[in-house]
Amino acid sequence: MSDPVTATEKSSDNPILWVAKPMVTAARQFAKSLVRPSTVIYPYERLEDPKFRDQVRIESGKPIGVGPIWDNYRGVHALNIATCISCNLCAFSCPDLCIEMVTVPGGDPKHPKKCPQIDYGKCSYCGFCSDACPEGCLTMTTRYELSVTKRSEMVYSPQKMFGIYEQKLPMHPIRVERPANEDQILLEPPLCIGCNACARDCPTQCITMLDIPKPEAKAGEKVPKRIWKEPVVNDSDCVRCGTCINVCPKECLFWGNRK
Amino acid sequence: MSSATLYSVSYFLVNYVLTHIGSVLPAPLNAWITNGDLVTGLAVLVFGAILLGASMINTIVLIWWERKLLGRFMDRRGAMHVGYAGLLQNFADGFKLFRKNTFRPREADWLGFFSGPTAYLVTSFVIFGILPISSGWNSGVLPLSLLLALAIFSFAPLFIFVSAWSSNNKYSLMGGMRSAAQMIAYEVPLLLAVVAVVIVSGSFDLTTIVYEQQNYWFWGPLFLALVVFVAGMLAEMERIPFDLPEAEAELVEGWNTEYGGMLFAFFMLADYLRALVGSILVVLLFLGGWTMPTWVPSAATSFPLAGIFWFMVKTYLVFGLFVWIRASLPRVRTDQLLRVGWNRMIPLSLCAVFLAAALVLAKCVWPFGCLPSMGV
Repeated sequence: MSDPVTATEKSSDNPILWVAKPMVTAARQFAKSLVRPSTVIYPYERLEDPKFRDQVRIESGKPIGVGPIWDNYRGVHALNIATCISCNLCAFSCPDLCIEMVTVPGGDPKHPKKCPQIDYGKCSYCGFCSDACPEGCLTMTTRYELSVTKRSEMVYSPQKMFGIYEQKLPMHPIRVERPANEDQILLEPPLCIGCNACARDCPTQCITMLDIPKPEAKAGEKVPKRIWKEPVVNDSDCVRCGTCINVCPKECLFWGNRK
Repeated sequence: MSSATLYSVSYFLVNYVLTHIGSVLPAPLNAWITNGDLVTGLAVLVFGAILLGASMINTIVLIWWERKLLGRFMDRRGAMHVGYAGLLQNFADGFKLFRKNTFRPREADWLGFFSGPTAYLVTSFVIFGILPISSGWNSGVLPLSLLLALAIFSFAPLFIFVSAWSSNNKYSLMGGMRSAAQMIAYEVPLLLAVVAVVIVSGSFDLTTIVYEQQNYWFWGPLFLALVVFVAGMLAEMERIPFDLPEAEAELVEGWNTEYGGMLFAFFMLADYLRALVGSILVVLLFLGGWTMPTWVPSAATSFPLAGIFWFMVKTYLVFGLFVWIRASLPRVRTDQLLRVGWNRMIPLSLCAVFLAAALVLAKCVWPFGCLPSMGV
């Protein structure tokens, strides 16, 4: 008894079939694409056109740009300035270093509000920034037409991305759930000088400065000169942006795990 | 068969124009301008110009045809923005190449580098002076036109090798070596397949060969020879699957790696000229040339350009077959190519020759009936 697998392999040993098989495949493809090739003639047709409704499997009634092929489409970003907390995580996660945090009006004059400004000349549309955004204010839309005549026009200011947000384009609805960052902000108490910089710059105001008892001066030792307060981090509110670690003048805050 | 040839038509045109010009000129100029030598010389030039224009336009349309067909094979549309359905795209591409700077590598041999592509293009073009396009529009009656066409066709390896060697580039040289080996290996079965046609038709004249096919085209009785001829032609034209000399994955661009601008355009044009010649030869030898299929109504056969129309339709369909093969098959290895060439193609073509001899001895290309030269 011949093994069926071996039998099929033997049938392809016929040299005529080496030529005939691919030629039949190509002819079938040719006949299929004579009716309608898979290409969309872009400047004249667009994938959003209703005639492609079946091809992109949009259910009727849904807005254009919602459907299986659009659901994880990564186009231009939309930014909701109102909910942005200036945490810098988007710029931190960007592999192309195309995000710069720029000042936007409307913040505290002492500590200006900063929102991402994206240079699309560098952006690779990986979507890490919108995944990293803790507030969901930086999302990617289905808009893909970006051609400009000047290099400087490739840089999208927060206001421009807010304009895209206000157009209510279909957003990238799937947020990739990354494993939760279990790290916490820890303090090395002897180094702290109680300067309040971390609590001041924390975007979520999850750091509170609590009073600590001033130690009694021992003989022959001086009491260090400092403000007798220490930061306490509310872990449930913390977005793990690391701003406090960056601003700490004494480098007494660090990543760690309390457990 | 009509005796009007393309040369006689151009001679008539030149003679007509010069006679009318001479009739209004004063006496000494009058005799000079209607001089027979001048008319002959100008007629040759006009003949060449007509051929050049026709073959160049056909070549460029052939490139368009390949791009469109290949696009459909790949589930896309091919060129489509310039002109109707992209017909003018290749003219634009050619103009771009024409405007480009022609340069050569510093260490390249000057004479070989520039004369190689030129000679390659010219020899590919000269074949068009020999091939009959239609019974009324052949370019001249040559008793050995088939031999002459194939002889000029086989010049190519020499010029490819010259331009490859003088480029002073290892990839060019390797491509040139492969090209020479491949073309020489496939020249033999190609010519043996032609011998089968010559035995059956009894003539080396392409016009007579076509005339012999007016009842039955040769592709049926000489199918083996047709297969060998098409495979050999593919190797001669260096098209996929036999494009080893240009193998982009191994040799950068093969023997024309160092060429750019107009010299590259020369190579490109000559390649497609040779593809056109190959398709025309297949049509002339096996598909009945300008004779029409039997299902064409007799009223339609008497149109003035019906022969040329059917000839071009057949040529473009044969080239479509080459494109189909290109879209389907992967490139073979050098050793496979040469083994198939020497070990398989030559015995097959010898079989085809013996088959043709048997057909002639039996005086009948059964079941296809008889040929005009076989008497009954």
